Amino acid sequence: MVIHHFPAMVLFALLVSVVFGILGRDTLRERILYGVKSFVLFVGIAILLGWIMYPFPR
Amino acid sequence: MPSETEKGRSPSRHVAGQTNNQKTASHPRPETSRLVTLCIAAWLIPGLGHWMLKKKWRALILFLAIMGMFVLGLLMQGTFFAFASPSYLERLGYLGELCAGLAMPVAKFFGYSGGNPFFISADYGTAYLVSAGMLNVLTILDAYDIALERKP
Repeated sequence: MVIHHFPAMVLFALLVSVVFGILGRDTLRERILYGVKSFVLFVGIAILLGWIMYPFPR
Repeated sequence: MPSETEKGRSPSRHVAGQTNNQKTASHPRPETSRLVTLCIAAWLIPGLGHWMLKKKWRALILFLAIMGMFVLGLLMQGTFFAFASPSYLERLGYLGELCAGLAMPVAKFFGYSGGNPFFISADYGTAYLVSAGMLNVLTILDAYDIALERKP
């Protein structure tokens, strides 16, 4: 299965966030909120780091 | 009242912690053999520990997420590390993949050759394989905590 960088990262973040949500909180609502927060932070910080590295040459 | 360090935690957990001491008298600590069996089961099949503790929805979602990650790693031709490798990092990678339980031996049994490091997505696949193992470690620890009634 060929997958590009961004979809691979998003998929990884999704699966990890699901597990974090279930293990990290106790009630259903808290699990969902924590999972979503975790996912948003994963993807957001990855994009931010990408832009921070953008000016630097290979 | 929950302390500052418990910010974000459910108040029910604090209450549960307060009542744990009261529960101890009527709910003694599980036998060590049961805890060991639980942890081994949780290691072999992701989510099985939670299933044994009657947390069926959690067990199902954990199983699907962790095994889904492992299967995606296989589809991306991720590498199976070998413990006999001279590199310590590869030995750690092997242990990480082994933490996913029976998934790695079963994949080998059904003919997975150990991946293709030159495949375009292989690096992601390897990361997925090791991460599935690491998530399973968290799952095992969670099942252990639930068995000891440290969390609901």
